[in-house]
Amino acid sequence: MKTKAILFIYFLLLNGATFGQTVVSGKVLDEKGLGLPGVNVFIKGSYDGASSTIDGIFKFSTSEKDFQIMVFQFLGYKTKELAISLSENTLELPTIILTEEITEMNAVTISAGAMEASDESKSVILRPLDIVTTPSAMGDIMGAFQTLPGTSTVGNDGRLFVRGGDASEVGIYIDGMKVGNAYGTTAGNVPTRTRFNPNLFKGTFFSTGGYSAEYGQALSSALALNTKDLSIRSQGDLSLMTIGGGYSHTLANEKQSITASANYFNLGPYQGLIKQEIDFEAAPNGWDVELAAQKKLGKNGLLKVMARTESGGMSLWQPLPGTDRKVLVDLKNDYSYLQANWRTILKNDWTVFTGISYSKNLDNIAYDSLMVERSNELLHLKGTSIKDFTDQLSAKFGVEHFIHPFSETLVKEGWVRNYKDHESYLFTEWDFYLNKDLVFRGGLRAGTSSVSKENWLDPRFSVAYQLNEKGKLSFAAGSFHQLPIENFRVLNTNLQNSESNHLILNYLFSKEGFTFRAETFYKSYDQLVTFDGLPDNPEELKNEGSGFAKGIDFFFRDRQTFKNTDYWITYSFVDSKRSFNQFQNQVQPSFAPKHNLSIVVKHFIVPLKSQLGASFAYNDGYTFTNPNLDNSEMNSKTKSFQNLSLSWSYLPKPNLIIHLACTNVLGRDNVFGYTFSPKSNSQGIFESIPQGQVAPRFLFLGIFLTLSKDKTANNLNNL
Amino acid sequence: MKKTILTIALAFIWISFAKAVDPAYEAAMQKQIKAMKSIPNLETSQQVTNGFIRISEAKNEEWLPLYYAAYNQIIAAFRFEVDKDQYFNQALDLITKANQIAPENSEITALHGFAIMGKLSVDPASRGQEMSPKAMQLFGKAINLDRENPRAVTLMAQMELGMAQFFGSGPEKACGMARMGLDLFKKEEAKITDSYILPTWGKENAEAVLKSCE
Repeated sequence: MKTKAILFIYFLLLNGATFGQTVVSGKVLDEKGLGLPGVNVFIKGSYDGASSTIDGIFKFSTSEKDFQIMVFQFLGYKTKELAISLSENTLELPTIILTEEITEMNAVTISAGAMEASDESKSVILRPLDIVTTPSAMGDIMGAFQTLPGTSTVGNDGRLFVRGGDASEVGIYIDGMKVGNAYGTTAGNVPTRTRFNPNLFKGTFFSTGGYSAEYGQALSSALALNTKDLSIRSQGDLSLMTIGGGYSHTLANEKQSITASANYFNLGPYQGLIKQEIDFEAAPNGWDVELAAQKKLGKNGLLKVMARTESGGMSLWQPLPGTDRKVLVDLKNDYSYLQANWRTILKNDWTVFTGISYSKNLDNIAYDSLMVERSNELLHLKGTSIKDFTDQLSAKFGVEHFIHPFSETLVKEGWVRNYKDHESYLFTEWDFYLNKDLVFRGGLRAGTSSVSKENWLDPRFSVAYQLNEKGKLSFAAGSFHQLPIENFRVLNTNLQNSESNHLILNYLFSKEGFTFRAETFYKSYDQLVTFDGLPDNPEELKNEGSGFAKGIDFFFRDRQTFKNTDYWITYSFVDSKRSFNQFQNQVQPSFAPKHNLSIVVKHFIVPLKSQLGASFAYNDGYTFTNPNLDNSEMNSKTKSFQNLSLSWSYLPKPNLIIHLACTNVLGRDNVFGYTFSPKSNSQGIFESIPQGQVAPRFLFLGIFLTLSKDKTANNLNNL
Repeated sequence: MKKTILTIALAFIWISFAKAVDPAYEAAMQKQIKAMKSIPNLETSQQVTNGFIRISEAKNEEWLPLYYAAYNQIIAAFRFEVDKDQYFNQALDLITKANQIAPENSEITALHGFAIMGKLSVDPASRGQEMSPKAMQLFGKAINLDRENPRAVTLMAQMELGMAQFFGSGPEKACGMARMGLDLFKKEEAKITDSYILPTWGKENAEAVLKSCE
């Protein structure tokens, strides 16, 4: 009897549930009023729900009762909740409008001046791997960037020159920390390289103008290199090259990793086999030791530490124009770099970063009997915090301090001149997304220097608008300050900042496997340093130079059309004139050729397990002053610069790479300028010596072996 | 004494209740799994993913609905014309959530590797360097967590085959692993009943790898 009663009640309840079902229906639209298909519509805490159809319509029945919460969820849109009351048999909901969420993935980014090298970025300008696989780059970071728009190749210098600016106008940062003396010291037309191995970095951000208020002390360009996060596995990397060798060992687990490496190079044996144009007494040589460690701290924190020390040198006979005499130039360089940084995400959408970096560069240069010792130190302290107020508004705040001692000693005479600068900066930058297609960025950077006794303020502004799915337009403007180079400041500590203002308009078109970029710019220069005499002995240094640079550049990259082939073509036009250094009139600087062209092609041949690469660089020549022509400055131009480089990478096994590369295959005799004798000879002619290449070609052969439990590992990144 | 027995009995009843699977949950899962096996187009695929997400929202202590939602998004990215990175990223988000519910789970770890494999396939030339060891590592971990997991072994075989093709070496290793995977699938099939809701997919993948061995 009892059981029967219970069953009866149960039956009733069950029935009640069935009869009490409510059919819920409605429509979900996007902001434009179009039906949104695939929206997950459901009652919170139950299994009842449905997906919207192609018109955004949904309909489902539920046995839930009374007050409930309806959830509307769709990837890329803000989730919406709605309180409903289920009492009738049907419930027709009012039209629901979902607003798109602005995320890093879908929001427009500012591309004026900016070129990002990362694997994630949708608009492919450069991939991290391209740095090591571009034939002309020879594994140097700067070599790869010289194939990008806005840059000029100056073959006897090796540094990065951007849009009519000299090489010192490019600020180089590692994890946001400024790197002092990022290039190796060099002498007498031997091009330099970046000290840092591309293998250290997971991505780079290269800006040719109009960049963020986070970066200062750079008139032309900011190059931000971001080091790798935790290593994925323990491995050893061995490299054997015609110019030296090295070994690097990594230990890794899920929480931390550490990589120690040591390298040695000496061009002596290579130069013994292949004749060089430069008369080396001792071929360039050097060693380096490096340690990089990463550690996860807490749930969202990451600590990175890097330490590096290196020593190198060279010695060469430099000819003097108009004589048979040669002068011995001997160079020894010691360099150390240390940095630590910590980044973490805190509650309430705050991201905090703190960092410290220190670099010390010591050059001992003997020019004939003159011996100079130069010491340059840079200590950089930095803290930034980012707050995401909403998905539309975020702000960045930062504070920086630099301690920068520099000294120059004439060793024999015992003369010392030096200065020690303290610079402090405050900056802030605000990003406002009106919607995911339109963003405004405003920034302000304030600085002060103890040596130049100067305070300054740099406002920056940019905007980007997504025209359609593939095209976008960006505009950037800003003011930039930079203190003169150390060699000048030590001669006149009253020298003030040089100034530049940028205006940039950029169009970027990108779709799967294809990128086109066009950018036009104008920049002004003021307060540039001018002096009397020649650069090796400047006098009366003043901030009286000025000038401009304007132009347009194009870039296009295609990885789609031809199978296993990737190529990019860059053309940059720069019209720049400035009065600077010894030039009293506005002239086209030697480092700013007008027409610059670069083509890079890479092709992978599967049956040969090989990647073939070719790169071609062209510019229309470098200006120089020819005293035999007339009295005017920069009255001549060298013949055009051309360089065709080829490379072949062979992967016989997953963990072994053989890399062969040759620059300037055609052996073109490129000239970068001329050195004239200071006095004319008996016929009244100033004799000259061309500033040429170290050798017509540079041939490189390297074998790279990775030792790891995981047999598929290779050290492709070490090329 | 009586009281103690009663308490123990009650405790047992309570435990058995707590352990007993929720029939509504099982039914809902079975319905979605069945729907997942015959997806004709992207719209249906989205419906199935949504279904799993709804279950995971209502039953937030279960990893399985998140697992299937992620799996279905991975398959959709491979099958349909969509923004593949977006789909794989969503799958990775779901896998992260599943991982929080059930850490050190062999199936989730293997699926994580599968999602990474998918991301790799979008741009193998530039992502291979970073992602192929990551995927391999996850498959290795999944196998270590459960040596009977046929999916972990099969996915690793697929990865091995891809790399053997890329480097032009022989597929022997991949074939051996695929055979091992097939044996494990046979073992698994013996366990499958009508109410079985744990992952069973992947046999075709192992067979496909074996085809290239003939």
